[in-house]
Amino acid sequence: MATGVQIQERVPENLKKQLALTVQDIQWSYAIFWTISARQPGVLQWGDGYYNGDIKTRKTVQTVELNADQLGLQRSEQLRELYESLSAGDSSPQARRPSVSLSPEDLTDTEWYYLVCMSFVFNIGQGLPGRTLSSGQPIWLCNAHYAESKVFSRSLLAKSASIQTVVGFPFSRGVIELGVTDLVLEDLSLIQRVKTSFLDTPQPFASNKSIPVDGITENDKDLTGPAFDPQILDTKVSPLLGCEQIEMASPNDSSDGFEPNQPAEGSFMVEGINGGASQIQSWQLMDEEFSNCVHHSLNSSDCISQTFVDHANVVPLCQGEKDNDNGLEDVQECHQTKLTSLDFQSDDLHYQMVLSALLKSSHQLILGLHFQNSNHESSFVSWKKNGFLKSQKARGKTPQKLLKKILFEVPLMHDKGLLESPEDNGVRDAAWRPEADEICRSHVLSERRRREKLNERFIILKALLPSNSKADKVSILDDTIEYLQDLAKRVEELESSRELTELEERMKRKPQDHVERTSDNYGNNKITNGKKSSINKRKACDIDEAELEIDYVASKDGLTDNLTVSMNKKDFLIEFRCPWREGILLEIMDALSTLNLDCHSVQSSTTEGILSLTIKSKYKGSTVASAGTIKQALQRVARKC
Amino acid sequence: MENSTQESQPRSANFITYESSYPLYAMALSSMPSVTNLNHQRLALGSFMEDYSNRVDIISFDPETLSIKTHPTLSFDHPYPPTKLMFQPNLKSPSSSDILASSGDYLRLWEVRESSINPLSVLNNSKTSEFCAPLTSFDWNDLEPKRIGTSSIDTTCTIWDIEKGVVETQLIAHDKEVYDIAWCEARVFASVSADGSVRIFDLRDKEHSMIIYESPQPDTPLLRLAWNKQDLRYMATILMDSNKVVILDIRSPTIPVAELERHRASVNAIAWAPHSSKHICSAGDDTQALIWELPTVVGPNGIDPLSVYLAGSEINQLQWSAALPDWIAIAFSNKMQLLKV
Repeated sequence: MATGVQIQERVPENLKKQLALTVQDIQWSYAIFWTISARQPGVLQWGDGYYNGDIKTRKTVQTVELNADQLGLQRSEQLRELYESLSAGDSSPQARRPSVSLSPEDLTDTEWYYLVCMSFVFNIGQGLPGRTLSSGQPIWLCNAHYAESKVFSRSLLAKSASIQTVVGFPFSRGVIELGVTDLVLEDLSLIQRVKTSFLDTPQPFASNKSIPVDGITENDKDLTGPAFDPQILDTKVSPLLGCEQIEMASPNDSSDGFEPNQPAEGSFMVEGINGGASQIQSWQLMDEEFSNCVHHSLNSSDCISQTFVDHANVVPLCQGEKDNDNGLEDVQECHQTKLTSLDFQSDDLHYQMVLSALLKSSHQLILGLHFQNSNHESSFVSWKKNGFLKSQKARGKTPQKLLKKILFEVPLMHDKGLLESPEDNGVRDAAWRPEADEICRSHVLSERRRREKLNERFIILKALLPSNSKADKVSILDDTIEYLQDLAKRVEELESSRELTELEERMKRKPQDHVERTSDNYGNNKITNGKKSSINKRKACDIDEAELEIDYVASKDGLTDNLTVSMNKKDFLIEFRCPWREGILLEIMDALSTLNLDCHSVQSSTTEGILSLTIKSKYKGSTVASAGTIKQALQRVARKC
Repeated sequence: MENSTQESQPRSANFITYESSYPLYAMALSSMPSVTNLNHQRLALGSFMEDYSNRVDIISFDPETLSIKTHPTLSFDHPYPPTKLMFQPNLKSPSSSDILASSGDYLRLWEVRESSINPLSVLNNSKTSEFCAPLTSFDWNDLEPKRIGTSSIDTTCTIWDIEKGVVETQLIAHDKEVYDIAWCEARVFASVSADGSVRIFDLRDKEHSMIIYESPQPDTPLLRLAWNKQDLRYMATILMDSNKVVILDIRSPTIPVAELERHRASVNAIAWAPHSSKHICSAGDDTQALIWELPTVVGPNGIDPLSVYLAGSEINQLQWSAALPDWIAIAFSNKMQLLKV
């Protein structure tokens, strides 16, 4: 375990002191030096850092009197130690704890942010440090805690730590990042100040070609070859470090340094035996501790989150341009489609609110009652991996029989008890036969089938309805009722108007019987001005028979002013007056139906030979006819003789 | 009416068996010892007989002498098997009367006194008819003791104010029958359903719910749910016909933190330790009751249990006593056993 610690970058003491002085000078919260990873070309990782922010002052035991500077350095050291202990994954978890002077509960949110930064890794060109390095220009980020995660991937972390400003500038083959919990506006002179203070002190990076190397500070000057050659590093490094270097093997195959199949392998200096699993372990642990202090980083797409124990499943298949900083982000991205709730911004927010309220108010973790498994009095026996072969496997009976009965059958017992239908009685009898094994199964199935049948029929009903009703059962039934009523009304009206037409035809054939019959008929047909209209009718008829031309002229005159078509989406209201003649109503209806208009309400009256129609109709096609087309059609009808 | 073996096995001082004359399912442990003898723990045992008349018996257990006492007067009839029994949580002090809630056709409350049981109320949430959708489970909110949430096969969850005897709210929780419900805090609860999802609801915002887990094969019902009262981030659930106990972290929806897969047959019941945030006990058809400790780091082969107990037959019910955290109660066939942890 201890050997693993040395894999990290050994940046000379000077840099740390420089960072310390700088950040104290400008009174910011932290300074981090991101350096090019020796193992992975093209990747920036944690070089060194100095933490200058708030700390919890719980630890009052100080064996040695330290001045402020030393305190600060010590703190940063302790944070680094803690990070390493948390990330070391293999042997006994309990053993490593006592060696760390800090424990996770002692950290403030800002310290946590600092600590978590140690795990981050950036491709060149990605993330704030990556972009700084590739562009060669400083980047000043205000309101870092509100930044989009694409811009600043640690924004959520920054939010919990109240880090508001983050600045990065390239320095000596790496990037120096400074952060502060206040909002500081862009000030290039500050960057200058920092740079000059750095340049004042001699730097170990004398040669441009030398790179900081894993664990071997003395040998970096020897590497004069092309800057990134992991092979050389491998051979140099491995004899010095005893344990397996799993991570060494993996990046060599990658073409661009981004290893989608190895989640977070660059980010953790973990030397676990099983590379994949150990990272998961560390993530799990990190999360465990992390959440203890940080209550707000709840957006699981961004924060460290726990993963499935079976590490095979952790392998993310999605490749994308994202920082390799949080390998598990990949996992989260892949699962994004499954995170139905996270697709919707508002749901996410609500859930975040719920979670933050929950976790804020929940009490601290009780760090595990020490379980006395060695208690001889216990009824329980220690678990042995291959023991208990004699414990029965499922005997082929229904699994979870009683539980299923309680959940599936007992409620139905109550149901059946009250409904008492013959179908149910049959089922009830079945329920009382305790021997039948498939009882619960068949109940569930038959209930499900019945529900499916019902749903099917509702769907069919919905398809029969003309309007776009909502898909829920109540609305479907409502619309059906409406539609049926509508249809009944229309049928009634159509039938009555058909009667009218028939009557008119009959009248034409027997003009002699005109007078009496028409008056009667007209009375029956609910037309106003009964007698008067009958007289008029007769007149019109006569005219029809005898003087067609005049009729034609008359009707033509009557044409122009009396047709209005008003439209409201798909509903048309047609008001129409024209000289009456036999069969005109039918022809009008025909004309309208050719235009794909579904007339659902027709009011007609004939006064003095003029037919007044009020038609309400709905367009039942997909494209709506214009009012003009309808007008033309109707006028054509009226004009015909 | 019931046979009872009142003495523990002479050899070992670590478990005691109670044998009833009918199969048992529902079981409840009171949250506070009785007032007469401060160490006695009351248990309510519900029968499972597939006809109309079922019974609930109250017995008491003395951990000092390892004896179980039956109280013939503390017993009542219940229509059809009670699907769940629960004593009032977090009784502040030992009192002479305890309240027991039972679910079945309705939610019923009973006052359990030293020598008698009085029915307190019958809560029916159907406004139109006598008939209310049967309840599959319920949970008594321990922070807000007047609040009980019930889950029902009509896909709804109903929240009751039992002091006033009225419905606080009723939510359509799922697409299918809801099988279990568990409170987290005063106003947050989660439920599992036949549609295979675990949803979290917040009473302040009834429009939204959050699915935090869905069973991997769609529509595999989730049968039971337990929220870790010591660490509200974690909850456990079990699937139908599955030997896995799925541990969920509410902060990372849809991805389980762990799947405890050491049972050799399907799991029937789960219970978190009332005094420790890292321990959970599960019992199943393989007659085993396993105690697990959730580690902070997970080995590649999954998590192994700490310890195991083999019962005589499939274990159907498991309750971890909050009043006596050293004892776990299990029910199998018509026996109930109290096991020392």
